[in-house]
Amino acid sequence: MIFNSVSFLIFLALVVPLYWSLPRTPRLWLIFLSSIMFYGFWRVEFIPLMLFSTLVDYTAARAIDTSTQLSRKRLILTISISINLGLLFYFKYLYFFVDNAIDALSIFGLQIDKPVLDIILPLGISFYTFQTISYTVDVYRGFIRPEKNFVLYASYVTFFPQLIAGPILRAKEVIHQFLHRPSFNIVDFGNGVRWVLYGLFLKVVLADNLAPLVDDGFAQSVLSLSAIDVWTLAFLFGFQIYFDFSAYSHIAIGSARMMGIHFPENFHYPYLAHSPREFWRRWHISLSSWIRDYLYLPLAGVSVQDRSTGGLAVAAQDSRDNPKRNLLLVLFLTWAIMGLWHGANWTFVLWGIYHATFITLYRFAAPLAKSWIEWRTKLIGWAITLPIVMLSWVPFRAENIGDALAMWKKVFMWQEYSWLGMRENTYLVMAIILLSVIVGYFVRKWYVRTAENYGVTNIIFRVALESIIFAVIIGLVFVFLRPIQQFIYFQF
Amino acid sequence: MTEIKHIKTSLLIGLPIVIGVIIFIVVSMFLNLTREETRFEELALGKETKIYRAMYQDVLVHCSELTDGAMCLDGWKQRGGHPVTLWLGNSQLHAINQMKSGDVNSVQLLYDKLTKSDNDLLAFSEPNASLQEHYVLFEYLKSRLPIRTLLLPAVFDDTRENGLRDGLIPALHELPVMDELSKTKIGREILTENKSVKDTGDMAGLNDTPQKVVESAITDWLTEHWSLWDTRSAMRGQLYNSLYLWRNSVFGINAQSKRKIIPGRYVKNLAALKSILQSCAEQKINVILYIVPLRNDVEPPYVTKEYVSFKKDVELLSSEYGAVFADIEGLVPGELWGRKDATSINGEAELDFMHFQAGGHRLLAETMFELLQANHFLSDSQ
Repeated sequence: MIFNSVSFLIFLALVVPLYWSLPRTPRLWLIFLSSIMFYGFWRVEFIPLMLFSTLVDYTAARAIDTSTQLSRKRLILTISISINLGLLFYFKYLYFFVDNAIDALSIFGLQIDKPVLDIILPLGISFYTFQTISYTVDVYRGFIRPEKNFVLYASYVTFFPQLIAGPILRAKEVIHQFLHRPSFNIVDFGNGVRWVLYGLFLKVVLADNLAPLVDDGFAQSVLSLSAIDVWTLAFLFGFQIYFDFSAYSHIAIGSARMMGIHFPENFHYPYLAHSPREFWRRWHISLSSWIRDYLYLPLAGVSVQDRSTGGLAVAAQDSRDNPKRNLLLVLFLTWAIMGLWHGANWTFVLWGIYHATFITLYRFAAPLAKSWIEWRTKLIGWAITLPIVMLSWVPFRAENIGDALAMWKKVFMWQEYSWLGMRENTYLVMAIILLSVIVGYFVRKWYVRTAENYGVTNIIFRVALESIIFAVIIGLVFVFLRPIQQFIYFQF
Repeated sequence: MTEIKHIKTSLLIGLPIVIGVIIFIVVSMFLNLTREETRFEELALGKETKIYRAMYQDVLVHCSELTDGAMCLDGWKQRGGHPVTLWLGNSQLHAINQMKSGDVNSVQLLYDKLTKSDNDLLAFSEPNASLQEHYVLFEYLKSRLPIRTLLLPAVFDDTRENGLRDGLIPALHELPVMDELSKTKIGREILTENKSVKDTGDMAGLNDTPQKVVESAITDWLTEHWSLWDTRSAMRGQLYNSLYLWRNSVFGINAQSKRKIIPGRYVKNLAALKSILQSCAEQKINVILYIVPLRNDVEPPYVTKEYVSFKKDVELLSSEYGAVFADIEGLVPGELWGRKDATSINGEAELDFMHFQAGGHRLLAETMFELLQANHFLSDSQ
């Protein structure tokens, strides 16, 4: 089910009151069944696949727990991970693998016709696979005990707000919340509604209206784009994907909050980061934290974290304590895999390696700025980081490696700065959004500080101001709400 | 004390949303009551200008693109399917400023003249049609019609356009069109950039899902039972239009503001023009390539140097491929032009540089007829 639809709002309006009116066990069943229904609204035939994946890890985790021999525990873990990754490989990477294998063989003169594989990528498979893997690994590591109640465990995996595009949560963060049967809290509920409204605004008003500009720009031949166009498109897509994905996370967090379940934040003003490392502490936090704990740190051979917060930035610090392997190699390998997680295309690998390169460069450059005044370091850091991050979106969005490299090349050709290849509105929209994001951040910061300082005496002003803001948000969401586009991260 | 704090926090969280909803309902009800019906066709052209499509015996001879194009082609077959003069263009061809009862456009006038001498004419025009679009449409029509002569306008504004409108994309899936486009670089670019029609419908994100059925049922019900819901699309249009007006007000943009060349698009459109001329030369199709009339009583909205260079480029191409070049920029005198709606907030009506009155259409039709005659591009029976 798509969040930006009337059917989802009605679904939510039915599930939430029912949830609060039920005792614990039926409540779990409600979560489980409503999540299955939510998934079935996309494609019914893929429900068994999701349940199979859930069941595999439920069984594997219990088997690990009851096993006394370490070798047996390891074997079960290997089988579980193999099944999960096998499914992911078949549905997401088989075509890519076959395609590349045939291309590689053709270099040696072996000509094979490319098969036509009609494989549909099941929605959310990358997300729920990572979630189930983390569960089994956490049981193996002894971080958590396996859950005996299948419905409780399945509710954690399939919980509809986060099922399709995250945040990727740890069992430890969620299961206990289901178990405790939180009682209705008006503040949580109200905050949940707010998050959902913010999310809908980001998606239907901002992201969906940017999409045509971005699509038109990237559909153009690279030859007809100037360097300024490449920058503009990189920034525009950067904003589109941020609005789109953070919208999903907002609605997910808000929907869960309405049911008294707290998710950690997945985005925190990523474009205000003043270093590449900090960017990954603010962007898709649950994924980079997952990559840290289940890929990077194990590959580096150092102790792991146990929470879906902090992101890879934490790993960068911790792993230097006692690394067993070549950290640089591990870093690049991790980022290449993280890129590939986003999609079966070399463009995503390039995107990952690009980030790894700048994180590495930052590690070397950061000590040089240690003696600088803090605000100056931050300002310069932001001014360097933002364009670096935005340019990374070029391979992420480009059709192929060739286009991505050709677009990057333009950025370094001075003669390409002397003309424009798109309509004036495109540049104007980009400039307005960039300015709004920066000003919006500082206005919000000022507002929160002022509200805290004046507290209750300021209550009327605060309610009046927020009422007007919500009237505008609700009005715009009402006008623009339509499932015209899926969320970008649905394709991953 | 804790309870009071909890109540206060609850109020702070919930009250703004409730009040926000109330404000929204009140404002939208007020706007809905006072709303004038918006006709978006008029918003684009302005209230002063009306659309006219030429007809013969109630059958269109002047279409827009593929969607209504079949009617034009059927009519041509019924009239005997003889070699035809094809006139492509933008809104200048189908719009009449200050239109009065009985006014017709240049296509109708030329058609009436040509039929008297057993010559047939078909016209296709779309607002802001780029030369890339003309190229695709021309190849599509070439595979269906024996084109004797092509009347092709060169419009500076339209070199700022890019891409194909959805209505033309099915043409790219026709084998003869694909073959012809594949022969040229710009044709191959057009094919690559427009592989498929992008579904831009309200339910595009739900294609092939069971949710689409449910969502359609709900929205249909809402549309039927809630008038405010039904006006959402009009409200979106109004919002976009307001943004356009605000932009123009803030940046001081009006109809007389200089429209600068967009190099990337200009190159592509000129390449498309070259390909059309090349294709015509190979097929021995006569071409009259003309610089469109522009109002000459005021300074044009172009950078003079760029506009002069554009005309020169067009002339060079026409001579390279043996086309007849006609610069009729000054054909329509100032009094036969008109005004259009303001393009800024609280602005006054502005000069219309593209659409002239019926008198201008008469002049254009006569000129085209004379050019066809003078160059012996009409059939012998004349």
